[in-house]
Amino acid sequence: MRRVEHVMGFPVSLRVDDEGAWEEAADAVFAWLREVDARFSPFRADSEVSRYGRDELEGESPSADLAEVLDLCEHYRVATGGAFDARLPGRGFDPCAVVKGWSVQRAAQLLRTAGARRFVLNAGGDVVASGGPWRVGVRHPEQADRLCAVLELTDGAVATSARYERGDHIVDGRTGRPATGLLSMTVVAASLTVADSVATAAFALGAEGVAWAAAQPGCEVFAVDTAGQVLRTEGFPVAARSRAA
Amino acid sequence: MKRAIPVVVLSIAGLVPVWRYEPSAGGTTSTTAEAAVTPSSSASASASSSGSGSSSASGKVVKGTTVNTDKGPVQVQVTFEGDRITAVSMLQQPNHPQTTAAVPKLIAETLKAQSADIDAVSGATVTSEGYKQSLQAAIDAKGA
Repeated sequence: MRRVEHVMGFPVSLRVDDEGAWEEAADAVFAWLREVDARFSPFRADSEVSRYGRDELEGESPSADLAEVLDLCEHYRVATGGAFDARLPGRGFDPCAVVKGWSVQRAAQLLRTAGARRFVLNAGGDVVASGGPWRVGVRHPEQADRLCAVLELTDGAVATSARYERGDHIVDGRTGRPATGLLSMTVVAASLTVADSVATAAFALGAEGVAWAAAQPGCEVFAVDTAGQVLRTEGFPVAARSRAA
Repeated sequence: MKRAIPVVVLSIAGLVPVWRYEPSAGGTTSTTAEAAVTPSSSASASASSSGSGSSSASGKVVKGTTVNTDKGPVQVQVTFEGDRITAVSMLQQPNHPQTTAAVPKLIAETLKAQSADIDAVSGATVTSEGYKQSLQAAIDAKGA
């Protein structure tokens, strides 16, 4: 079963290879992602996140989901010395960098709960893989139709942060300026919640983010610096040249 | 014919490690002594200037911000030759025995452009517009 829908401003591709009917599980995945968009988008004035950002929750405590997102934002803000910050001066509260990985990981859990074992979920370039081996290419930072690496994932997640799609959207919270120290930062981890947050936070850190990400528990790193050199961890799961028969 | 790609292995002495074991009480004392960068350079031919030369006068050394973690302050130092990163080392790390156990290594390689048979593409968040021309769109169309 395959399905592609545009949610949260990016395409989400789902492929389930298990036998059986998966339409209902797929419906639940996309319904959850639309719910996340409604509740957590900083671009919607009436979202939970926007109301929280404007201090309008008026005594209500944040929902359990929002509390999880706030904890993640705070964890990575502290861990990066403020380079990663969902509250930049002059801007509203924007937890997008954390919400994406967190919500797509939750979507993958919905599929597992429904009994799916062999699937791959790609949310605009952030991938959760289950029951592999799956071959996941990393987009070349300068050539849109080429790859700079191919990795093999059995169960895990991979996320990439870079400027080539949406421009200078990642800001180094320490300087308030766009992060430009790296061309691309790819992180592999057991969950997309970690992979996506670490990739974005490391990209915000710039060149020093490579060693920082490599030192994060359970993370493997493939980074491209501004001179076009690759720095990767030894354990980054590079795939064999061709698919096993 | 495959070209031999010079690979420089940067051993990062004492680079903060894997904090997956929860230590009972993380010491917060910081070691400010400069961690010895020992680029055990297995560089061949063209990369011969890397290695121990990375800390020479020709390289630009940039110190990172001190980052406070719950295990103590961490600070890295990055050495550049031009725009190239030639070494990454730890200036400060949490004073904990487990930090000396794991030594993550970074491998430097030349950026390659390749094509391959794949199931999904990881990249910076694509816009719905950019998706139309993307490799992932081609994969989705092929399998539909």
